[in-house]
Amino acid sequence: MTYRHKLWTGLILLGGIHTVILLAGFVAPYHFATQYREFPFAPPTRLHFVDDQGRFHWRPFVYASPDSGSPDETQADGKHRYPVNFLVQGCAYKIGGIFPAHRHLFGVAEPAEIFLLGTDEYGRDQFSRFLYGGQISLLSGLLGASFSVLFGLAIGSIAGFYGRWIDDVLMRVVELFLACPWLYLLFAVRAALPLHLPEWQVFTLLIAVLGLVGWARPARLIRGVVLSAKERNFVLACRGFGASNSYLLFRHILPQTYGVALTQMTLLIPQYVLAEVTLSFLGLGVGEPMPSWGSLLSYLQQYYVLESYWWMFLPALLLVPTFLAYKAVSDALLERVGAVSL
Amino acid sequence: MCTPSTETPALLVARGLSQQYRKTNLFSGSVLAVPAFEDVSLVLHRRTTLALVGESGVGKSSLARCLTLLEKPLRGELLFEGQNLLKLSKDELLPFRRAIQLVFQDPTSSLNPRLTAAEIIAEPLLVQREGASGLRHQRALQLMGQVGLPMKWSDKRPLEFSGGQRQRLAIARALALRPSLIIFDEALSNLDIESQELILRLLADLQSEHRLTYIHVSHDLQLVSRIADECAVMHQGRIVEHKPIARLLEHQDDPYTRELFAGMSSVESILKNRFAEVVP
Amino acid sequence: MKYACRRLIHAALLLVAISFFSFALAQLAPGDFFDALRLNPQTSPQTVEHLRSEYGLNRPFLVRYLRWLESILHGEMGLSLAYNSPVGPLLLVRARNTLLLTGSAVALSWLLALPLGVWTAVKRGTWPDRMAECAVSTILTVPDLLIFLALLLLAVRTGWFPAGGMASLGANDLGPASKFHDLLFHLALPSFGLALVTVPVLFRHVRAALMEVLDSPFLRAARGHGIPEGRLLLRYALPVAANPLLSLLGFSVGSMLSMSLLAEVILSWPGIGPLLLEAILARDVYVVIAAIIFSSAFLILGNLLADLLIIASDPRIRME
Repeated sequence: MTYRHKLWTGLILLGGIHTVILLAGFVAPYHFATQYREFPFAPPTRLHFVDDQGRFHWRPFVYASPDSGSPDETQADGKHRYPVNFLVQGCAYKIGGIFPAHRHLFGVAEPAEIFLLGTDEYGRDQFSRFLYGGQISLLSGLLGASFSVLFGLAIGSIAGFYGRWIDDVLMRVVELFLACPWLYLLFAVRAALPLHLPEWQVFTLLIAVLGLVGWARPARLIRGVVLSAKERNFVLACRGFGASNSYLLFRHILPQTYGVALTQMTLLIPQYVLAEVTLSFLGLGVGEPMPSWGSLLSYLQQYYVLESYWWMFLPALLLVPTFLAYKAVSDALLERVGAVSL
Repeated sequence: MCTPSTETPALLVARGLSQQYRKTNLFSGSVLAVPAFEDVSLVLHRRTTLALVGESGVGKSSLARCLTLLEKPLRGELLFEGQNLLKLSKDELLPFRRAIQLVFQDPTSSLNPRLTAAEIIAEPLLVQREGASGLRHQRALQLMGQVGLPMKWSDKRPLEFSGGQRQRLAIARALALRPSLIIFDEALSNLDIESQELILRLLADLQSEHRLTYIHVSHDLQLVSRIADECAVMHQGRIVEHKPIARLLEHQDDPYTRELFAGMSSVESILKNRFAEVVP
Repeated sequence: MKYACRRLIHAALLLVAISFFSFALAQLAPGDFFDALRLNPQTSPQTVEHLRSEYGLNRPFLVRYLRWLESILHGEMGLSLAYNSPVGPLLLVRARNTLLLTGSAVALSWLLALPLGVWTAVKRGTWPDRMAECAVSTILTVPDLLIFLALLLLAVRTGWFPAGGMASLGANDLGPASKFHDLLFHLALPSFGLALVTVPVLFRHVRAALMEVLDSPFLRAARGHGIPEGRLLLRYALPVAANPLLSLLGFSVGSMLSMSLLAEVILSWPGIGPLLLEAILARDVYVVIAAIIFSSAFLILGNLLADLLIIASDPRIRME
C-alpha cells in the first residue's frame, strides 16, 4: 500500500470511529448508567430477519414476551415480534455535552430491550457503555497526547535554541523522566493525586497525568531538530540582517519541527488511549458510573465472568480497529517525515 | 574600479582581529582552544574588490563571519566608516547590519526551502521593518529583475531554481537593504563555469551601478585574479601578504604565497582576461 | 573500566534524584494511609493522630526523607503501613519474582525473535517473510491488555495452565525437582505472554540490523570469495550486527518492566506490579516509592549493561 492509501484509509476509519463516538448519545439506545436489574449479565440480544413462519423481513426484529420483556429468546412461541425502529425517541442526552436531544439511532418498543453487546452485572447495556466509554478513553488519549507534545515542543525548542546551561539542565530533567519505566511513572503520578473525585475532575487529572509522563521523548526529539535547524545557513543569514531570537524561532526554526511533532502525536495517541484503558482497568481511572473502555474490561479479571460471560470480551475486540487505524496513519507519516530514532 | 585614493577614508578597517573556538569538556573541565585566525589587519577602500585567498580550513570563512558580525572575535578592532563595531550594543549594530551583507557558498542551504522567492528576498526588509508588505513585495520583484530573474517566478520555491539561479536569489536578497559592502564566501565555488561567468558579469554590473565594495573569499586563484583589485593571502590563520593583484602576480614576497601562485600562467594573459571595468 | 565506574556513579545519582522526586510526589498526595481510619466514626481523632506520629507521618518533609535514606542503610527502605513491617524485605521477595518473570521473558522473546529475524532477513521477500511480518503487525496492533486477557481466558477455559500464582497449593511439600517443575508450570503463561508482546519490536530490529549487514560491501565480497552461506552468517554477519542488537538487548530488558506490571496483575504473578497497585490503593506511601526506585534501577542498569556490552564487543568505540 502506498503511503497515500495508508494515510487516507487510516484517516477515514479514524474519522468514522470518532464521529460515532462523538455522537454516542445518538447512536446508543440507552444511557450508560441506566440499570436493568432484572437482566443481569444478559447475553447479546439476537436479531432476527426470518420469523417462525419462514418469512423474510427487511427490518430486523427481536423476540420478547410481552409481560416479562426478557430478551435472548430464540423460540417464537408465546413471544411477540418487536421490530427495530430507527430514529426513535428515547432518553434524554446532550450532543457534545451542550445540545439537549431525545432522538436515538435505533431502539425497540417497550417492553422489549435491545442489548447488542449484552449487559453487565447491574443490567447496564454494554453497547451504550462502550460508546460512552469511548468518549472518555479517546478524548483522554487525544488531549493527553496533545499536552505531552505541546509541552515537549516548548521544552525541546527552548533547550535546543538557547543551549548551554539551559540545555544541560533541561536534558537532565528529561533523562530523569526517561529513567523510569513509563507505566510505573504513570502509576506513581496517579497515586500522588486524590483517588476518588467527581467525574470531570478525575478526567482533567487523568489528562494532566498522562501529559506529564510522556513529554520527555518528544522533547528530546524536537531538541535535536532545533539544534540542527539552528545552524542552518538560512538561519545564519537571517541573523545577519539583524533578526531577533524570537523571530528566528517562530519563523524559521519551529516550522521545521512540525513534521516530527505531528508524527509523535499519532504515535502517542494510541499509547495514551491504552494508558487510560490500563488505568481504568485497574481501578485508577474515572470512577463509577462513568464508563471507560478500561473499566468495561475490568470485569474480566473475575473468574466467573471470564468463564461464563463471553460477550464481556467484545468491547476488547472493538478496540482493535481504532488502534489499527492510528497505526496506519502513523506509519504513513513516518514514511513521509522520515525515520525517527529512539 | 577606481584606484583607492588616500584622501577618501577607508570603508572598513580591521586591526588585530583574533578568533578562537573553545570547547569545554564537561567532565574533565579541560578547555580545548582551536585558533581560527590571529592578528588580522585589513584596510578596505570603497568600490574596490578585495580577495581573501588561502587553502581550505585556514580561517577565511571564520573571518568572513566576523566581518559580517555573525560572530564576535576574541580581540581586535573593526572600524566601519569610523565606528568601532565591536563596541556597539545589539541595538546599535542594527543599522550596520544593513550595510554589510554575506552571500554563502551553498545557495541551497542559505535559502529557506519553504518560502517563496519573493518572501526570501523581502525578508531583510521585514526583519528591519522597512515598508509595508505591499511595498516590500514590489521591491522584491524589482530586485529579481536586477539580478536577471524573471519576475513571474516570484512565487516559486528555491528548489525549483537551478544552482546559478539560486545564487542570484541570494544576491538579490543581499541587495535588499542597499548595502555598501558584500562579502562572498566561496559563493562561486559550487557553480559550473557557465553560471560563474554569468554571475561574475552580474556582480560587475551591480558593483558599478550601486557603488558596492566586495570581499571575495575564495581558493580559486584564476577567478580571483580576474576580479580582484587587491589580494590578501592567509596562511595558518594569519595574513602573510596583502598587495594589489597585479603586483602580487608579478612578485610574491612570502614563500607560501609563492607556492600558491606557482601554477599560474603569465601575468599578461591573465590581465587580458579580466572584466572590462576592472583596470589595475 | 573508568567508564563503567563513571556510569555507575551517574546511575546512583540518578536514582537518588528519582527517590527525592518520588518522595516529593508522595508528599503532594492529599490524605494518607489513615484516611480510612479517619472516616470510621468509632475511631477518635486522637487515636489517628497518635498512630500518625508513631509512624512519623507528621514530621516535616526533609526529616522524613533523611530518615528514610538512613533506613536504606539498614536495608529497610521505610516502613510499610499496610503490612506493618519494613519495606525492604517485602520488596526483595517480590523483586525476585519479577526478575524471574522478566528474565525468562527476555530469554524467551530473544529465542523467538532472533532466529525468526535472521531467517526472514536471509529469505526476504518470500512468503515466509511476508507472513511473519503480517503476524508481527497483528500482535503489535492488538493492545497488550487484550493479549494477557486472552491468555487468561485460555488458561481458565482449557485448564492447561494454572491461571495465576507462583506455586500450587502444597508445593512446599514436594521435592526440589517437582518444585522446580511446578514453578515452570506456573511461569509458563505469564512468561510467554510477556515474551509475545515484546517479540514484534525485537523481530523488526533484528531483521533490519541483519539486512543492513547482509547488504554491506564486505559481506558481498566475502560471498564472492566462495565462503559458504552458513559460515558467512555465523562468522561474518552476526558479529557485525551484534552492535545494534546489544543495545537493543538493554533496551528490551528495560522496557519489559512496564509491560511486566500489567502481566503480573492480570495473570496474578506475585511480583512488584500487584504490590504497587495494592500500595497505591491503600496509600502505602513507602512501598510506592520503593517500587518506583526498584523499577527505575532495573531500567537504568539494563541500559548500562547494554552500553558496557557494546564497548566490550566493538573495538571501534574503545578507540574513541
